[in-house]
Amino acid sequence: MNGFLARASRHVGFEIGAVLLLLLVGTALASLFWTPHPIDALNMRAKLMPSSAAYPLGTDHLGRDVLSRIMVGAQTSITVGLIAVAIGLTIGVALGAWAAARGGWVDEALSRTSDLIFAFPAVLIAILITSVLGASAQNAILAIAIFNIPVFARVTRGAALAMWSRDFIRAATAMGQGPLGITLRHVLPNIASVLIVQATIQFAVAILAEAGLSYLGLGAQPPVPSWGRMLRDAQTYIFQAPELAVWPGLAIALAVLGLNMLGDGLRDLLDPRLRLLRVG
Amino acid sequence: MIEFLSRRLAGALVTLALATVVVFAVVEVLPGDPALVMLGTDARPDTLAAIRTKYGFDQPLLTRYLQWIGGLLTFNLGNSHAYGTSVSKLIGDRLVVTLPLGAMALFWATLVAIPLGVFAAWKHRRPGDWGVMGFTQIGISVPNFWFGIVLVLAFAVTWQWFPAGGFPGWQEPVKSVHALILPALSLSLGEIAILTRVTRSAMLDTLREDYVRTARAKGATESTVLFKHALRNALIPVTTVAGLIAGFLVAGAVIIESVFRLPGVGQLVYDSINNRDLVVIKNVVILFTILVLTVNLLVDLAYALLDPRPRVRA
Repeated sequence: MNGFLARASRHVGFEIGAVLLLLLVGTALASLFWTPHPIDALNMRAKLMPSSAAYPLGTDHLGRDVLSRIMVGAQTSITVGLIAVAIGLTIGVALGAWAAARGGWVDEALSRTSDLIFAFPAVLIAILITSVLGASAQNAILAIAIFNIPVFARVTRGAALAMWSRDFIRAATAMGQGPLGITLRHVLPNIASVLIVQATIQFAVAILAEAGLSYLGLGAQPPVPSWGRMLRDAQTYIFQAPELAVWPGLAIALAVLGLNMLGDGLRDLLDPRLRLLRVG
Repeated sequence: MIEFLSRRLAGALVTLALATVVVFAVVEVLPGDPALVMLGTDARPDTLAAIRTKYGFDQPLLTRYLQWIGGLLTFNLGNSHAYGTSVSKLIGDRLVVTLPLGAMALFWATLVAIPLGVFAAWKHRRPGDWGVMGFTQIGISVPNFWFGIVLVLAFAVTWQWFPAGGFPGWQEPVKSVHALILPALSLSLGEIAILTRVTRSAMLDTLREDYVRTARAKGATESTVLFKHALRNALIPVTTVAGLIAGFLVAGAVIIESVFRLPGVGQLVYDSINNRDLVVIKNVVILFTILVLTVNLLVDLAYALLDPRPRVRA
């Protein structure tokens, strides 16, 4: 662990990523207790104001404080991203580990299914799902989670298959341990680093996807603040208040950049041999 | 070669068949009553019944599915609920915007990404390489629709070199191309980043090969080594990824067309969602899937022509 920290302190990308992620999580946590203004406080006399001491990032078309809404928007992004990745991770890892342990038709069926899901453009299916089920944060989570399942299943299967051919696992088999026991005790702990890296990157992908869906009006619904939705509203007033279109986008970009850099850094630090694991 | 390609074609057709089942399930089975989705919960029972008869929602599922497939095979996709016009015409009219947009974005992406990737590999582990990699990190992280909005802020609001959105139609070719420049730029940002990374790593692989060392030993100039020997072989993985990207460019167009108010297929999907026009939605999704599969097949073909090895492996 000390060795990890020592190497981490020399990895600039990892550090930038970690700082940005701390900033994101810190903002979201802080906004649970405090925001400069109440997020729904309408003030029609102070609408579309530029930056000022009272409103550091200005106000939107309803006179609401942009900084406060961006802070709370971080909660939305993190919640949607975390839950979507957690669902994808749980189901995907289980399926991938099962396919690797069982082989044969299970493996074949799983690979074909994930090929099928990858053949669809992800954005389009997410749009399809949210449009049929109705636009809401829950359905956005569901749509994003569905695309995380095959990603994690593929990564798990690949890494687990490599494990199954290792001697210590053969030894465990010879000692009479069943596939479930071996998977839980030996395979999963040994591929955890791969999964952590992938989860970080999928978290970034999920935040981007949530932003895209809510930009289209298919994510979290008003009055819940979400960065994508803020951009959509800002675009309407782009000639009157151009700055409005800058801040939420910057927030998305920094959050995603942080997670991507953290993921790449973790990959370098945890296992330098893991390259090109970016799927989807 | 023929066997390799026909196997891939068969695989693509199986995927397509499964895709139709999935889309049908999501659009017509998952919501329970499609008529209710189209008209909303406060619709009157007699209008609901009329819609069910009009679109055949009162028929058994299998019949509906087979009718749809029959329609797809004969390009008879029925009429849009919102527009009242034929869905095939509707999609055809929109494709003339979306396809050029995707093509421009792909052209721009390869034009920028390949030289950048070659440059980064050439300057491996030196400031030039770090600069390019830093740029790709940003390119992957910035949402392309926000990049589009920023481009509008800069080039339409501040400097007014380009329109902020809209599309004049191909009867005015110069204006139309002009209107597609900013959208194509924003659509290509992420693809430039990915393609640059792929080009760089493929170049790093080929630059280590013996034939590159031989070329250098023969006294070939640096540009000959880079572009004639190394890049030519590095293009194989680059083509694969460029192809994969091409399929997804078309899908990414959904958001970008919404940013720039372009009357393309993406905007059609968006409008159809707001209009709850299930007839249009399911057909457009299948069309996009066919596009992605076709592009993947073309990539396989290009791959087989560029590199003789996969023919044997397949």
